[in-house]
Amino acid sequence: MKQGRPFLRSSTREAISGYLFALPYLLFFCMFVVYPVFHGFWLSLHDFNVIDNSSTWMGLANYQTALHDETFWKSLRNTAYFTVLSAPLLVLAGLLLAMGVNREFKLKGLFRLIFFSPHVLSISVVGSLWVWMLQQKYGIIAQALGALGWHNPPNFLFTPTWAMPAVVVTTVWWTVGFNMTMFLAGLQDISQTLYEAAAIDGASAWQQFRNVTLPGLRRVMLFVGVQQVIASFQIFGQVFIMTQGGPYGSTRVVIQYIYENAFKYFKTGYASAMAYLVFLVILILSVIQLRLQPDQGAD
Amino acid sequence: MKQRISVGTILIYVALTIAAILWIFPVLWMYGTSFKPEKDILLSTALIPRPTTLAHYLKVLTEASLPRWFFNSVVTSGLTTTLVIMVDAMAGYAFARVKFPGRDLLFIIVVATLMVPQQVLLVPLYVHIVRLGWINTYTAMAFPRVGLALGVFLMRQFFQGLPRELEEAAYLDGAGRWTLFTRIAVPLAIPAFSALTIFTFLGSWNDFLWPMVSATRENMYTLTVGLANFSGSQQQEYGAWMAAACLASTPVLLVFLLLQRQFVRGITLTGIKG
Repeated sequence: MKQGRPFLRSSTREAISGYLFALPYLLFFCMFVVYPVFHGFWLSLHDFNVIDNSSTWMGLANYQTALHDETFWKSLRNTAYFTVLSAPLLVLAGLLLAMGVNREFKLKGLFRLIFFSPHVLSISVVGSLWVWMLQQKYGIIAQALGALGWHNPPNFLFTPTWAMPAVVVTTVWWTVGFNMTMFLAGLQDISQTLYEAAAIDGASAWQQFRNVTLPGLRRVMLFVGVQQVIASFQIFGQVFIMTQGGPYGSTRVVIQYIYENAFKYFKTGYASAMAYLVFLVILILSVIQLRLQPDQGAD
Repeated sequence: MKQRISVGTILIYVALTIAAILWIFPVLWMYGTSFKPEKDILLSTALIPRPTTLAHYLKVLTEASLPRWFFNSVVTSGLTTTLVIMVDAMAGYAFARVKFPGRDLLFIIVVATLMVPQQVLLVPLYVHIVRLGWINTYTAMAFPRVGLALGVFLMRQFFQGLPRELEEAAYLDGAGRWTLFTRIAVPLAIPAFSALTIFTFLGSWNDFLWPMVSATRENMYTLTVGLANFSGSQQQEYGAWMAAACLASTPVLLVFLLLQRQFVRGITLTGIKG
């Protein structure tokens, strides 16, 4: 007390510095996340014109239109199809690659780099590169398949049944390195002594994987799984560049349909309503995953 | 028993090697093709070009708007990354270390927005920047990403993991929060900054949808958007396209090569995996 009382109580000073530290971020957060989230909902209830800034109240009409829009449903089904094909593959392949490059060998650094490197490329490079590799006649993939005995393979990106799988393969090549890195960080957190103890008890490689690796990775698995389903559900760039949604709309995904409505047909309100419906679907999927996951790890 | 394990191990390495070759092949092929004369491109499957030519590079560097798009990408990604590191480090520190009323509720709200898919923000953000008159500006291309919650979440996780004792001595000496932050917390956070830099820079450099929407003039395109249009308009000129793709990819590959050692460590430290 005697040696000069501070101007403010220290807890007040602490609180003020707390707000000041958080303030710059919170400004960006409010302006570019919070406000748009609410404004998007407002837009979805209106017929809004970007050019003259006018709006008409629509109530839930935009949502009703979406629910009766066959193209919207088709694009949702296509997105779900892509997610079902790509998400499990990306999680499983990421885990396998991580276990491979987590071993002690000379070239492990190089291998990690190689598997991650496509993730560094932009989608316009990746998309066009694969379009070219997938070409029917001169494409390097058709030639490789020919060498393996599959002569005259289909023109993948122009055949409805093959276009989506081709987009999935491209996506796996492009993004699996990210999941691999996440799993790798998780694997390195598992104590080596657990494996040694298991080995002494005579556990086989499979038993070690089942009883040490998998439980140790439970939280990473949850993170990667939820994150991957959200990411897969938001697919856009790949189809926009590789197929433009074709052939015959077989790869038109929901974000593309939202994009077309907002920026080609200027149906701002309708696009917002569909975005909110997609948000709802993603939310439900995430909640289901969060509910399911702990039970899987517990047994 | 021992024999069986080593056969299994060999199989694992064989599989890994095959996978690695398949993974790196498209990238090497892209670089190889960019040096091939146009007449060889469709017919030769060789990885290494023979004869080689620099014609495609000269063409895209002189004729296309590539240098300009490159510049736009550097400015946009650089601005985004700088802002994200500064703003997220401060906020992450506040949420981890400083006590203020409403802190935990605020943090929960911020983290909850991790669930919001970016496409929900797309249309309202577009309306927002049209009203602000920001179309075709670097601000419009960079700022929205700074509001995203992932970086704040990572930085908070990281700062929470630092032992409190590191700050206590200085605190008792009467150092203020700002001194504690800049002198003690920030220097320790370099690996976390590397991870966040890689995430943010890559995300921004490769972002496709937002720059396509927020920049409509060709001279404001980023490389990613420009290249997508370029390959649409130059369907037949594969060589030029490959050269452009290589020019666009090399800087990010280099940045990644330089920072990758810190990358896995940064992910571990920020506890992104839970």
